[in-house]
Amino acid sequence: MSDIILLGDEAVARGAIDAGISAAFAYPGTPSTEIYQAIEDHARKHGLDVRGMWSTNEKVALEEGVGVSYAGCRSVVSMKHVGLNVAADPFMNVAVSGTHGGLVVVVADDPGMHSSQNEQDSRYFADFAMVPCLEPSDQQQCYDFTREAFDLSEQLQVPVLLRLVTRLAHSRSSVKLAAPHAHNEANFVKDPNRFILLPGNARRAYASLVEKQKALLAYSEAHPVNALTLRTDDAKKRPGILVSGLAWNYLQEALGDALQNYHILRIGCYPLPVKKIRQLLDASSEIHVVEEGYPFIERYVSALGLMTERTIRGKLSGDLPRMGELSQDAIKRCFGLPLNVSLQMAGLADVLVGRPPSLCDKCPHTDSYLAINEVIAEFNPNARIMGDIGCYTLGAVGPLQGIHSCLCMGASIGMAIGVVHAGMGQCLCVIGDGTFTHSGLAPLLDAARDNSNIKVFILDNSIIAMTGGQPTAATDEDVVNLVAGLGVPREHIRIVVPSPHKKQHTMDTIREELAYVGLSVIIARRACVTYAKEIKDIREARELKRCTPEVNA
Amino acid sequence: MNYDLVVSGVGGQGVLTMAGVIDHAIHAAGLHLKQSEVHGMAQRGGAVSAFVRISDQPVASDLIADGTASMVLSVEPMEALRYIPLLHPHGWIVTDITPMVNVDNYPALPALYEVLFSAPRLVALDAALLAKKAGSIKVQNTVVLGAAASHLPFPAALIEQQLRNLFARKGERIVRANLNAFRMGDAASRFAAALLATGVASPVLARILPRIAFEPHAVPEPLVTAWCQRLLRDDADALARRLFAADDALTPDAVPS
Repeated sequence: MSDIILLGDEAVARGAIDAGISAAFAYPGTPSTEIYQAIEDHARKHGLDVRGMWSTNEKVALEEGVGVSYAGCRSVVSMKHVGLNVAADPFMNVAVSGTHGGLVVVVADDPGMHSSQNEQDSRYFADFAMVPCLEPSDQQQCYDFTREAFDLSEQLQVPVLLRLVTRLAHSRSSVKLAAPHAHNEANFVKDPNRFILLPGNARRAYASLVEKQKALLAYSEAHPVNALTLRTDDAKKRPGILVSGLAWNYLQEALGDALQNYHILRIGCYPLPVKKIRQLLDASSEIHVVEEGYPFIERYVSALGLMTERTIRGKLSGDLPRMGELSQDAIKRCFGLPLNVSLQMAGLADVLVGRPPSLCDKCPHTDSYLAINEVIAEFNPNARIMGDIGCYTLGAVGPLQGIHSCLCMGASIGMAIGVVHAGMGQCLCVIGDGTFTHSGLAPLLDAARDNSNIKVFILDNSIIAMTGGQPTAATDEDVVNLVAGLGVPREHIRIVVPSPHKKQHTMDTIREELAYVGLSVIIARRACVTYAKEIKDIREARELKRCTPEVNA
Repeated sequence: MNYDLVVSGVGGQGVLTMAGVIDHAIHAAGLHLKQSEVHGMAQRGGAVSAFVRISDQPVASDLIADGTASMVLSVEPMEALRYIPLLHPHGWIVTDITPMVNVDNYPALPALYEVLFSAPRLVALDAALLAKKAGSIKVQNTVVLGAAASHLPFPAALIEQQLRNLFARKGERIVRANLNAFRMGDAASRFAAALLATGVASPVLARILPRIAFEPHAVPEPLVTAWCQRLLRDDADALARRLFAADDALTPDAVPS
């Protein structure tokens, strides 16, 4: 087959489709969003029977994927790194129960925090759950490893974590595709006990997972991507390099021909191949560990820096930057190599300012913040507004400065409850429609039970805009019904239209609810201006699904 | 052969579309490529860039190292300057001079241009002027792409083919506008390279080039020679500053006296 240009995310998507997935599930999050997007687009374009959906959140997505696996079919579940925190419960436990059909969890880490609140490294999660992790370094490996991960998952009956990083997820190159694998026939295992994690079964299942570790290690030791290259041409000990994933790309360019002076062990499959690492240590005078993300390998190999047998140089030792993305230049500095000189232009710094992202022109969120700010300025200038995650987080910066916290998906409501319980009287919070259904329902139920004196603004723009326009689980009247169903009194569920034209009504409504002591939900309802076409398409598709339930039966 | 290209601009200006067109042209040329880009938060009116790496050998890194890019191709003048640390001392800057002012502290334009126009290898264009002439204000980024074409290590015809493929579904008028825009940018760029080669000072050329309404074909040789002779005279800098300030569109055949 000929090769095509694919984004790393798209290569994973094609790998999953060609591995014969029956369904895919995901929650959008940069840099993982394009995986499910590409699966959906490709399946629709070619009329493939690949089902699935944008799930309500990552936990639900993974549970849906587990269901597919328990039913004997292949499924891919994709999310960004912090999404795996949300899905941690099913992730840790499906490792114990084991899989039936192949289950691959693709997690895209974001070193450098291009679009995230932390740099967490998902290799720790794979290690924690005692499941294998594959770490591709280029687009071809994205495709190949995704396919391989399904075979491995079925062979050893464990979920497999595929770890991407931003620069791979959002980088394009050519990929050679291979012949597709057929779908599995849906079938249940004869003895479902291992899927019922009651303590008695769970002990047996966990013993089985522990037992599988030998096979996982053997798999990893034999994996061709974990390639050990020892230079045996002289008696003198040379330095060695342990390099994983994307870091290999930078290392090759940073060192060029000088790579021949080092023993090299590449890592792309975990658990860590300990025998090969032992061989590298024995052969080397010292070891450089070059990895994208946390110093995961370095921590193990250096025993937290306690190992004195060899000098280990990496991020823990301070030889490489502890934070941010690697680059060929960062590696050159580490190895004491000269950097290239760039074009020098006088006065450059004086005419260069930052251009951070900002809310779009005529964005409804701007009008929401303007109205809220104006009312609290008159009522209580010290009021705090707990924020959440989405486009509206951009309201944190000037001139709006509309929020005072942003922690994780859905946290605004819980944090507002906490502020009130700390004795601050009243607290406000803002949350988008997508984030509300992702993980705002449970805290709002708490607020309703408690009748907490918080004012929840649901900024309903009918779409998940930040990640490029994915459907939300609920908008318009569905949001009102959800809120009412959780126990918020109808008279304190208020709907406003955030626009300059309706500002007076919006402000009057906010004033009334701030004057009320107890829980209010103010829904600021106006469709996103950037994704008007997508919103129309989503509405039509949803209507079609409602009218014809057999479409997805 | 290695050729590293930075494509830059502001979210919504078509930076990733341009990068995609270049990618497919590279692929059609049988060369290797890696192209990394910025998605997500940065697309909300923030600075956006794509790194395009071209080689006759497989490309390893997704990033461009400091001082190694052969070109910064930008649809916005300040965004062009943002990636100068990546540019090789002999690298080219190809940019639209139309500012996108969506931040409060955007630098004063005269100061910005003074720095930009000091670059030794610069193709500065008024892409809005040429895009309108080409038939649609929306093809500004294609003008800039055209201005890059003669420097890229594969035939311009491959980019034209990608433009046809990309815009075919939007109709013949849009395809035409894109091809015209591309060829005007190319004409401007070849004109600029010829003048710089004969010793015309880059800051002089930088102020003249944006004011010329190029045709969608190369400027005839005698006219290039006439412009060279005019811009090698002692008063060229004063002339260039005057014409730039006047902001009137000149035609390639009207060499100022």
